[in-house]
Formats: sequence, structure tokens, C-alpha cells
Amino acid sequence: MAAKYDAIVIGGGHNGLVCAAYLAKAGRKTLVLEGRHVLGGAAVTEEVYPGFKYSVFSYVVSLFRPHIIRELNLAQHGLQLIPLECSFTPHLEGPGLVRWSEAARTRREIARLSPRDAEIQPAFSLAMTKMAFLIKNIIDNPVPDPTSLDPRELKRLADFGNHFLKLDADSFHLHSQLLTMSAVDFLSLWFESEILMAPMSVSGIIGTFLGVRSPGTAYVLLHHYMGEIDGAFRSWGFSRGGTGGLSLACARAAESLGAQIRTEAPVSHLRVQNGRTTGVVLENGDEIEARTVFSSLDPNRTFLRLVGEQHLDEEFTNQIKRYKLRGSSGKVNLALDRIPEFTCRPGIGPHLMGDLAIAPNIDYLERAYDQAKYGDFSERPYINAVFPSLVDPSVAPPGKHVMSCFVQYAPYHIKEGPEFWPQRREAFGEAVIDTLEQYAPGLRDCILHKQVLTPWDMEQMVGLSEGNIFQGELSLEQLLFQRPAPGWARYRTPIRDLWMCGSGAHPGGGIMGSPGELAAKYALQTRGV
Amino acid sequence: MAYDVIVIGAGHNGLACATILAKEARRVLIVEQRDVIGGLCAGEEFHPGYRHTGLLHDTSGLRPWLVEELGLSGHGLKPGPAPHRVFSPQTDGPGLVLSSVPDESVAEIARHSDRDARQFQVFGTFLGRLRKVIEPLLNKTPVNPSDLGVGDFFDLAPHGIAARRLGKRDMMELLRIPPMCVADWLREWFETELLNASIAGPAISGGWTGPWSPGTSTNFLMQTSTWNGPGQGGVAAVVSALENAATGSGVEIRTGAAVKRIDIEQGAVRGITLLDGDEIEARSVVSSCDPRTTFLDLISPRELSHKLEQYVRDYRMRGTTAKVHLALNRPLEWASRPGEQFEYIRTGEELDDLERAFDAVKYRQRSERPVLEVHVPTVARPDLAPQGHSVASVLVHFAPHHFEEGWSDSAREALGDAVVDERERYAPGARDLVVGREVLTPVDIEKRYGLAGGHIYHGEHGLDQLITRPVPGCTGYATPLDGLYLCGSGCHPGGGVTGAPGALAAHVIQSSRQ
Repeated sequence: MAAKYDAIVIGGGHNGLVCAAYLAKAGRKTLVLEGRHVLGGAAVTEEVYPGFKYSVFSYVVSLFRPHIIRELNLAQHGLQLIPLECSFTPHLEGPGLVRWSEAARTRREIARLSPRDAEIQPAFSLAMTKMAFLIKNIIDNPVPDPTSLDPRELKRLADFGNHFLKLDADSFHLHSQLLTMSAVDFLSLWFESEILMAPMSVSGIIGTFLGVRSPGTAYVLLHHYMGEIDGAFRSWGFSRGGTGGLSLACARAAESLGAQIRTEAPVSHLRVQNGRTTGVVLENGDEIEARTVFSSLDPNRTFLRLVGEQHLDEEFTNQIKRYKLRGSSGKVNLALDRIPEFTCRPGIGPHLMGDLAIAPNIDYLERAYDQAKYGDFSERPYINAVFPSLVDPSVAPPGKHVMSCFVQYAPYHIKEGPEFWPQRREAFGEAVIDTLEQYAPGLRDCILHKQVLTPWDMEQMVGLSEGNIFQGELSLEQLLFQRPAPGWARYRTPIRDLWMCGSGAHPGGGIMGSPGELAAKYALQTRGV
Repeated sequence: MAYDVIVIGAGHNGLACATILAKEARRVLIVEQRDVIGGLCAGEEFHPGYRHTGLLHDTSGLRPWLVEELGLSGHGLKPGPAPHRVFSPQTDGPGLVLSSVPDESVAEIARHSDRDARQFQVFGTFLGRLRKVIEPLLNKTPVNPSDLGVGDFFDLAPHGIAARRLGKRDMMELLRIPPMCVADWLREWFETELLNASIAGPAISGGWTGPWSPGTSTNFLMQTSTWNGPGQGGVAAVVSALENAATGSGVEIRTGAAVKRIDIEQGAVRGITLLDGDEIEARSVVSSCDPRTTFLDLISPRELSHKLEQYVRDYRMRGTTAKVHLALNRPLEWASRPGEQFEYIRTGEELDDLERAFDAVKYRQRSERPVLEVHVPTVARPDLAPQGHSVASVLVHFAPHHFEEGWSDSAREALGDAVVDERERYAPGARDLVVGREVLTPVDIEKRYGLAGGHIYHGEHGLDQLITRPVPGCTGYATPLDGLYLCGSGCHPGGGVTGAPGALAAHVIQSSRQ
């Protein structure tokens, strides 16, 4: 029996590390256990081919909470965020569209498509920024429990509802539209140019099993406006050294605060006695005792694999089983000899310094989704790609480049069955490269190495069940007080002293750090640890 | 003043609204642009000797309290629901019949899956519990969520208490289900795809959604929570009883009287002007037309605030339903149930069949293999066709109003052919029975019934359009224009043959007069 800890955090991804750092900061003796040889979980940098450092899975930092950076001194621990300058949408015909971080420049681009849209763009930004307070309020606080009659809960609920009640009729309407409409329908209330709406709408579908015309996809558009209210220049950026740089900064912060971190220490299962956990058992048989355990793994893995159904009641087990994961995206990482030129905007200019989206029009995106619905990967997928080496040369050998492509849709449940993904992986990778090749002829000749990751691979490599990058769909019925299961959104679980602190907990996925932070703070505040 | 109230449109909502208002001895006039009464429920001869019963046939959502309030049984509506069976045919297999008699449904489902047969019973009781909370909300005037007063809290309190009474588990479910897509939710319950497709059908009818679209579970819950079984005599009996009740209460009905505009002076209604130039004065005008027609066609733009106009323009009314009426020289037979006659038939063997049919709409195409909601009115009413003949009245999902190639005559006929072809899969030989047909595209529906976008529910049942239906400022039947009210399906609680918007609007108008 090893030394006793106040808390064991399972999983050394960014949420696990943030959680551990906050626990350590409060003086709790904390141990982080990571199964792989590298820290970071899905926010990891790996040198897959010599000299080329891939942000293997997650590749841009979107919503990482600024107060966490401050509170954990992450900048001192090496975190450097490089903002994305622009978002480029290449087209087969015409000059394509670049949306710049500089508003006036974007308006000039939009004016070419539609003067009316260019005119309305500032009003749209303003409305969205105002509404982003809703999101901020939601993601920076634990959720109230709507079924409780505890006066404190009712107060929380009232405060939460108050955000809506104090709105005037127009704002209320806008909020209810935003929360329920499809991204395309919502954008159509403002804009007329499909070419503009297509790349805007995709932020509503990333990581989901929905199309841009599916109701409920509009509210994610708000995430893009979070940066404005946080006072940051822009909310999307690279972490220097790859996404893993962010995780490493969190790890250094945690260690400096006294947390211990062990890699290559996969957990086999939780020790559970009389409905409470007393620690973990590693795959090598070692048992580690702890007063509390925080799991940053997804709910499926945590409860059905590490805890085991025998310790859970049937209703809860069923709720976890019906929790929808079904990953919908894949990743293609390329090592390039040189940067390819895009036909619609020749040259290696600033338009390649941000992200680029293969989202030429709305029908294109919908057709990609339709294929996935019936169990195929999209032959012509939505692709979001970046060339991080253009702004951070440290990730590739001199003169060489890295291209990171997020690809949707690649459904975990292909019709042959997920276990057949290894046979389809090559075809999937080719579909992605073929698609890119249309916009940047000659890309294929630039490729030195290629890494193709299907949702099945993500499950195998980092343990994301069904390859869902958010540890569970971010659909309304799986958010707020229902994440991961109705009534269990406060990081507690039916197993006493077991807490959830990953993206499968409120407020959900993306590199926010919020689930880790909120779990630790809430557990500390309620004297749970 | 010539009239106290003019109601525009003699559909079921217009009739219900006018009748209630006339009970207080007001002078009430209904103006109807068509020569027939009943709106979407008006039966007509579509081929010599063959009659249909209207565009919509499903009366199972008609409110019993409305039947009582208007004394419709005294006006010829036979009380009590008729036995109801919906048949889902299969090309290869026995098909499925869901009946209003639960035991029959369970036995039918057991032919496909014992587990689902057991689940179906649990599902039924579960829905029954939720109904206690949902149904009252669909039978009352909506509160304006952005402007809650003290009175509203007292108004809402019983609903909150009813929700709490459900217990934590059901209450959580009630919060969880509405934003879900009906496909996900049903698959949590049942493994038989034919069953799932059969019960998901109504949830996507009239929508711009497939079973995989989030929010479609709300439609399902709304429909099951107000389901009372179709009345005796079908939709024709409802319309005729409503008409009798209206005229019996002294309501004057003028058909063939199309409204040119609603006359407004200084923000207040003065009356209406008909297309033939007739001006009729009234203190109030109640429009059962859809919101877009009411505000954009019948009212001068200068009387609308810019904001209201914008909201109405943004209100989504993208029609996706076509209608095909078929005159047949024999009763219709289905391969999976030879010799049996069904009044209600729904095609689609699995949820993905429904979804594929919907996919086309996104690309401004009609479904190659549409989902058919078939009503055979001659089963209950043989008099609608010559002796031994029958009528099939088919709601076709999906055919978009915004059809890319345009609804030309040939496109219309191609749509009719696609419907006949699809039915042929389940009823081989049915093609040869057709002696006449009428095809109504969404554009035809728009023109014939004066329905913007050809949308059969006067606006999509999207969550946002249910919360503030139809648009902010008009959610409680009153409008910003003094004396102008709405009472059609574009208002809470939405479309279908329910009578609820009409009756609830009448109650609001009554109380505002007092």
C-alpha cells in the first residue's frame, strides 16, 4: 500500500491537471495518474516524425479561461498563446473569403460578397458579444439543480433565470432563438451571403453529430465572441510548442504547487467499498489509497469501466449508457516539405497564418453531414486546417511545415461497425487529401508524412469513448444540469468521494479548463476534499 | 358600427373564435375568401363523383373542452372518439397496426419484438404522467416569458406544482426530452424500427425537420399530450358542427368574400375592405390567417413598426407538405395485410426512410421516395365516392415550397407520379385503380388557401417559434394594433385541427372587453 493521498486525479489531460493544480493550491496532497507516456490527454504535442511536432488531437486553444491562466500563473510556467490572425475559406472559383481579426478589413472582404452583409456585420458582432455574457455566466459557475427544493438551490436557480427574466422582449426573443435555432437559420436572420454564412455556421457543428441546419446548433456561435468580453484580443489561438504546451504549463503549475504526477500509470479500476471510493488500482496491480478520486475521463469510461455496474444502481447505469458520445470527427496531421499554394489566393501570405476552413457553401456542409448520418465518412468533408509552423517555427524542422487538419464528418459508428475503421482509415485520409488538393493543387507532392486519426483511433490512443472529442455530445439534453446525468451535474457521483472533472462534466468540452477548475473549487468549497 | 367583430377566415379556428364571441350577443361576421367553409378542413369534389374531406384529416387533437363549450354535440357532432387504427405497411413483413385500444397495439408490436411490446406499455404510462403537466399548458393562454408580472406567477404556479408532483425522475425527463431529436429518444425505448418510424411520423409532419433534427421530440410530446382520438365522422363532422354552432349563435358567414386589407386608422382597427371594394366597419378584427398574410398582405406597411415587420418576415413558414387526392375504382388493398381496410396509413419502414425523405428539402428538392400519410375517408364515409369505389387522400412529406426547378405543371405531375409509385411498393396494383387525381404542391396550397409558404401549420413548430408564437408582441393573440387579434394556427398552441388557438383568442378578446 502506497502513501495515502487526499486526492487522486485520473487522467493527465488539461482538465485533470487544472483540477490537480487547484487542489494542490488548497494544500491537498494530490496525485495525477496518466496512462500514457506523455501528459496532455487530447491536448498533447507529440513528435510523431523526427522534428515534426504535431498537436495530435486538439490543435487550437479556443476558450481557455483567462482567470485560470492568472490564478495558476500559467504564463510563468511557460504558456504562450499566439492569436489566430484570420480565418480563410478557399473557394474553387473566385477569390475565397478571409475574415481578419481586424474588423474593418473583414468588412471590406464581406462587402465584396454583399454590401448589405458588410453593413450589418458590426451590429451582429455587438449583439453576439452582449449575448456571450450568457455563456460566460454558464461556463464560469456550477449549474443549479432545478429539481431541488433547497432554498439555496432555488436562489441559484432564480439568479440563473434572472438573466432571462430581466431581458427585454427583443433580447429574450434573440436568446431563445439562439438557444434553439440552427446555425444557418439564425445567421439567415442577419446575413444573405451563403459564402459568408457557411464558414460562420461550422462553429456550431464542431464535434457534434449535427448539421449546420440542425436546430440547436446556433448557440455555439457565441463561443467565438467570448474573447471580446474576456478582454482578450481574440479567443482563438495556438499554444507555442503545440497544444501540449498548454498542458505542460498546467502540469508545471500543479507540480510547483505540490502535486505529484505519474505517467505510464494507467488505472485499472476504482476501489469501491460500501458505495464509497478509497483509491485506485493500477493496471500493474499497484493499489493507491486516497480519500477522494477525481476522474477526468469520460462518464462512460469512468462509470462502466473504472467503477463497474455492480457498484451502481440500475437507473444511473442506464443514464450513463444512454449518454451519447458517438464521435463524429477525425484528424489528419501532415508533415510538409513546403506550404502549398491555394489557387484562389496564390502565395504564402498572411491568409495562411490563421485557420482555413473547407466550407464553400451550406449545401456542401449538409451533404457531408448526410453521408455521416447513414454511416459513412464524408467524401467531401468539412475541414478546418492550420499551419502552426508558419507562426511557431519551433514545431517543424527549418524550412519544413506542419499542417493539422480537423475533419468532420467521420462517424465512429460507420455502417460496417467501428472495429472496421482501421480498414477504412486509408480511404478516409485520401478523401481529406483529395478534397484539399482541389483547393491547393500540388499539396499531395508536399507531403512528407501523414498521420490519419479516426474516431476509433482516438478511442484507442487516448481513451476517448467512441472518439468523442468533447467526452459526450454538447446537445442541449446533455448540457447544464443534465451533464453527465440528470441530477449529477455538480461533479459529485453516486459513488461517494468520486468526483468528475473532465469534459463530460459541466460545462463540457473544448480547451476551457472549466470542468477541472469548477470541480476542484466546488469540492473544496463543500468540504468534499 | 356595422359589426362588433369581424373574423377573417372560416376555418375551424375562425369558426370556433366567432362562435364564442357571438355568445355574448355581439354582431359577429366571418368573411371567407373561398366559396366553401372549413379552411384546410373543407371537403370538396376533386374528381367528378369523388370528394375528399379537406387538406387536413386528423382531428385527434380537437379539444374536448371546446366541444363542450360550443355544445358541438348538440350541433351534430357525435360524442366520443372513433376507434382509431394506424397502419404502417411493409414491403416485406406483416406491417404494424397501432390502435387506440392499447392491448391490440401491444399484440401487434409483439409480432416484431416482445421487448418492445412490454416497453410500449411502460411508454404509455410514462407519457400519461407527462401529459398531466403538458396538456394544461397547451390549453391556456400563453404567458409572455419576457414580461412576467405578479399575476403570471400565480397563473404559472399550478403548472410548476404539477411538474414538481411528477417527482424528480420524471421532472428531469420532462426537461431532458424536449430539445432531443425524436429518433434518439424513441431508440432509447424501442428496437423495432417500423414502430419508431410509425410513431415518429406525426412529429415531423409539417416541419422543416427530419427525425434526426433536435427539438422534434417537443412536437411528439405536444401531440401525444393533446391526443383524444379522432372524433366520430372525421373532420367533416367537426366542420359541419362548428358551422352549425356558429350560425346557431347568430354569426353571419359571408363566403366568396376575400379581404383586400384590414383598415387601420391611427393604430386602431376600423374594419376591412373586401377585394370587391366593399368596406365593412368593425370595432375588432380577428384574423385566422397566418401571421405573414395578416401583417404583410392585409395591413399597410406603414401601420407596422419596423421591428414587428422584421419579426414577421423572419417567422419561418417554409412549406414542406404536398397533397395528393386519388380517386380509385376499388377499395385500396395493402400487400402486408390482404383483405383488410385501413382508414389511416403511414409509410416509412425505418427512421432513416423519414430522414432521407427530409434530406431532399435541404437541397430544395422533393423526396424521391416521399413519406405518405394516407387517409382513406371512404372507409368511414363510403358516400364520398361512387358505390364500391374509394378515395385516398395523401399528405406527402416532403415537397418544398422553394422547389429549385419551380412547380411547373410537369413538376406537379411528376410529384403525383412519385406518390403513386411509392404507394405501389406497399400496394402493388394500386396504380391501376386510379381513375382521377388532384395534386397540390405547396405553391398550390398557398394559392388555394391563402397560406403563406404553403405551410399547413401556419408556421414551423421550431422551439423558438413555440416559445414566442408567432412573434414577440403578438404572443397573447392581441397585437400592437388596437382591436386587431390573431386566432389562427400561427398562435399558441400551434397548428393542426385543435380549435385551441381560435377558442383561446376568443377568451382573451372577451376578457379584454370586460
